[in-house]
Amino acid sequence: MRWLFDFLNSSIGKKVTVGLAGLLLCGFLLTHLAGNLILFAGQAKFNAYAEFLEKNPLLPALEIGLAALFLIHIIVTLYARWQNWQARPVSYEMTVSKGGRTWGSRTMTYTAFLLLGFIILHVATLKYGLATSFTEDEVFQRVMTFLKSPWMAGFYVLTMAGLGLHLSHGFESAFQTLGVNHPKYTPVIKAAGILFAVAVAGTFAVIPLWAYWQGGLK
Amino acid sequence: MNLTLRVWRQKGPKEKGHFETYQVQDVTPEMSFFEALDKVNEELITAGREPIAFDHDCREGICGTCSLTINGQPHGPDEAATGCQLHLRAFKSGDTITIEPFRARAFPVIKDLVIDRSALDRVMTAGGFVSVNTGSAAEANSILVPKDKSDAAMDAAACIGCGACVAACPNASAMLFVSAKVSHFALLPQGKPERDRRVLAMQKQMDLEGFGNCSNESECEAVCPKEIKVCNIARMNREFLRAIFWSKE
Amino acid sequence: MKLDAKIPAGSVSQKWDKYRFDLKLVNPANKRKFDVLIVGSGLAGASAAATLAELGYNVKVFCLQDSPRRAHSIAAQGGINAAKNYPNDGDSVWRLFYDTVKGGDYRAREANVYRLAQVSNSIIDQCVAQGVPFAREYGGALDNRSFGGAQVSRTFYARGQTGQQLLLGAYSSLMRQVNKKQVQIFPRREMAELVVIDGVARGIVVRNLITGQFESYAGHAVLLATGGYGNTFYLSTNANSCNVSAAWRAYKKGAGFANPCFTQIHPTCIPQSGEHQAKLTLMSESLRNDGRVWVPKKKGDTRSPDQIPDSERDYYLERQYPTFGNLVPRDVASRAAKRMIDEGRGVGKTGLSVYLDFADAVKRQGKAKIVEKYGNLFDMYHHLTAEDPYRVPMRIYPAVHYAMGGLWVDYNLMTTIPGLFCLGEANFSDHGANRLGASALMQGLGDGYFIIPYTLGGYLASTKLPKAGTDHQAFAEAQRLAHERVKRLLSSKGKRTPVSFHKELGKLLWSNCGMSRNEKGLKEALAKIPAIREEFWNNLVVSGSGNDFNQTLERASRVGDYLEFAELLVRDALERKESCGGHFREESQTPDNEAKRDDANFSHAAVWEHAGEGKDPIRNQEPLTFTDVVPSQRSYA
Repeated sequence: MRWLFDFLNSSIGKKVTVGLAGLLLCGFLLTHLAGNLILFAGQAKFNAYAEFLEKNPLLPALEIGLAALFLIHIIVTLYARWQNWQARPVSYEMTVSKGGRTWGSRTMTYTAFLLLGFIILHVATLKYGLATSFTEDEVFQRVMTFLKSPWMAGFYVLTMAGLGLHLSHGFESAFQTLGVNHPKYTPVIKAAGILFAVAVAGTFAVIPLWAYWQGGLK
Repeated sequence: MNLTLRVWRQKGPKEKGHFETYQVQDVTPEMSFFEALDKVNEELITAGREPIAFDHDCREGICGTCSLTINGQPHGPDEAATGCQLHLRAFKSGDTITIEPFRARAFPVIKDLVIDRSALDRVMTAGGFVSVNTGSAAEANSILVPKDKSDAAMDAAACIGCGACVAACPNASAMLFVSAKVSHFALLPQGKPERDRRVLAMQKQMDLEGFGNCSNESECEAVCPKEIKVCNIARMNREFLRAIFWSKE
Repeated sequence: MKLDAKIPAGSVSQKWDKYRFDLKLVNPANKRKFDVLIVGSGLAGASAAATLAELGYNVKVFCLQDSPRRAHSIAAQGGINAAKNYPNDGDSVWRLFYDTVKGGDYRAREANVYRLAQVSNSIIDQCVAQGVPFAREYGGALDNRSFGGAQVSRTFYARGQTGQQLLLGAYSSLMRQVNKKQVQIFPRREMAELVVIDGVARGIVVRNLITGQFESYAGHAVLLATGGYGNTFYLSTNANSCNVSAAWRAYKKGAGFANPCFTQIHPTCIPQSGEHQAKLTLMSESLRNDGRVWVPKKKGDTRSPDQIPDSERDYYLERQYPTFGNLVPRDVASRAAKRMIDEGRGVGKTGLSVYLDFADAVKRQGKAKIVEKYGNLFDMYHHLTAEDPYRVPMRIYPAVHYAMGGLWVDYNLMTTIPGLFCLGEANFSDHGANRLGASALMQGLGDGYFIIPYTLGGYLASTKLPKAGTDHQAFAEAQRLAHERVKRLLSSKGKRTPVSFHKELGKLLWSNCGMSRNEKGLKEALAKIPAIREEFWNNLVVSGSGNDFNQTLERASRVGDYLEFAELLVRDALERKESCGGHFREESQTPDNEAKRDDANFSHAAVWEHAGEGKDPIRNQEPLTFTDVVPSQRSYA
């Protein structure tokens, strides 16, 4: 198993790990988004969906898996970033891009921290009800109450913009990392990455806007 | 035209560096950027002062010796060119130009703008070759190589080993350099027998040298004077995954 | 000086095979007992180092660049010749041999040239096996193109970067041996002294260019693969660090220096743009496959080239040499350009250039094809001149490019100092008085891959070498000399920089000993060079110290050697009263201004011997005999 350790510790191994975890997280985003869209179907349907999830015996395992994915994605990246930071002990006085970097790639670190902060807040409040005064048991009511606040709704939308940026680089980058680069298909993957980023982040962002616009539970 | 140069001066590997400012007067747009530096140096030597140490040799963009970051860009603002191919017509009179060495932990400064890139040689030593002894080669046309493969191998082999990719990478990663070499051999039938050993050994040495990790920023591709593409990095990733998970190495 | 070329007996085509059989072999187990020191890591040095290490010798390689991969062989563009006859156009080992002897204007050794032609095919095989990505046809077979002085297509190429790819091939083989710990590389080291013990080369002293310290290395043989001396002219196509110093040290220790006046002026270089210029850039000869050389018919025609109709253009190479057209050898093409310019028909701002026009080729083959063949050369031209050669004809002018002269070597590539071998451009070699295009790469690799591995073995197997380590007195003495030289350079507190002396020397050589030479000019140069040298030692300024990285000091030391070597070069040109190849004496020309040889008096290699400081060098002769290629007036018309 020495080879596996060598792999995970190698620079390519690290980025493959991050990329794979990232792609799986993209899959999670899609399922989460699909679930969220049930919000628009109304209180009853959404709460039923939430109950179905919570009653599912597989949920704890899935949650642990999901948390692991996040942790791997974050910790391996942090480790790599720490090495990267060490790889240039004297920094440039002046750096001018020649056009390789995109807004997405350039802001990866910032959007990553934004997303991390968001996830902590999101899980702490909506899942565990920390630092909130939820009296409702049901998820639909919690969401609508929570997003009534313009600050919260605004933060959610901002985060989704960050998510879009993060995905705009992350999606295509994961394919490159896994060795998928072809003159015919790479342009398609790049376009798909942008489309995915805009569609997922955009659709997610509709939810807080819609909730805010609804003004909480009528 | 007249220019102001802000140049990184550093006495030795252990010393701290700083910027010094020099005025270059009466230069012409046809002059190369290095010829302007030559002029500054001639004046410094005549005045009994130490000239700016900078590496250069062929002055036609092929030896890969030059290692200057000019106004924040390795090799300067021209597309697909090395520092020695840069001419003053890229600037206008009165400009201030900042000159730094290629910066990376794996490229320690020797003096001023001169750096030590032997890390790249060590990566090559680890596996950047085809193991064929002189005299044991088969007739050259006995193995046919498809033209597109051969052209792609040449695209990768055009690398001049200057290290601008490392210098431009926000992470100081050497992936473009290493992947160019891995690709060159991986694309040719002659390189196939050793492909697994090669990529594993070169990647390992690359990591040992203290380069950063690639995060697909593509700045390397943008500055490469020989226009080496990041598709080579993808190929190296493939070769590496193949070697790790499929081979018995 | 005793000159024994050691050319084996027998017919020219049998000599090498027979000789290889006759050479003594070193027992495989004994090879690791021998240390071989190689100075220079270009095509010749790297290929020799890799091959000798494969055989089991302990090899140390010294180069002044920061990596062996940066030796100036890397800049060779056009290609490498071999007698494969893949295009089925009539080529053969014999034809390559014939073309090379004729191209060299009958001033090369037949036996050496034949051997070179013989090994040429193996070189291609070897390079392909290393993974050199030569250009290929759609069917997957290797492609060829034509070069000057040949009517067959025998040049293998990798775009316009053939030298780079061949060097990287040799370098990769070298690195493989470093991996196996069979070779040690010493980069940023410049040879300061050759150490000769009891008349045999046994080591070197090098200067570590980073620390400034001198280091001694002992070995059983020393191989110099240190390139040519073109930079003596200041402006040349050579890289800045190319120099004559290592060869000059060897000369002073007793190695004969042959034919220094044979310098090649390459016809297609980018013209100088001003006084500031630090070097000239070559545009590959391969461009003459498709480019047409012309000047306006009218003197002083200042119209832009697109305003000059075809009827008012003089495609002078096609006119004067209808058989070879634009692909005449380099010396012929350079002199023809000079004649046009002397007639006042030169073009460009300075009038010091001629056109190389691709309009017809682009029309005939399409731009895409031209991009594929010459893309990187066109880009290089564009970077330097800011002109687009796809639309505007290139402007070109001859420039110093290659040194046919060099340290004299026998058939074994050994100099007149036993144990000191010389390979590649550094030796006086197989190109006679003019090298054909794409033959330098062939010779460098031929020497390194296929000749020295045998002849060095023969030397080591048949010579008794007593133990001589770096603790030997001779090393201490060599270090002392090297130290003294640096001290002397640093102690001069004058006003002029090394470069200013180099420029002055270069200008003098170019005007008096360049494309055409005459007795008056040569004598004038011979009088002026010692004066420049004298001023150099009295009015030089070198800043910084000798104990760290000091590029000014490096340059000063090399310029000091140029100033001595240049005198030998001019002296040789003066003594060789005939014209031949790249050496054109105005006193000796045919009615249509071609070089006129004097076989009765000059069918020999002139081998110069150092007679001691302050004494005139001695001119020895190695007679050249031709049995298989009968000398005739060279004609490409």
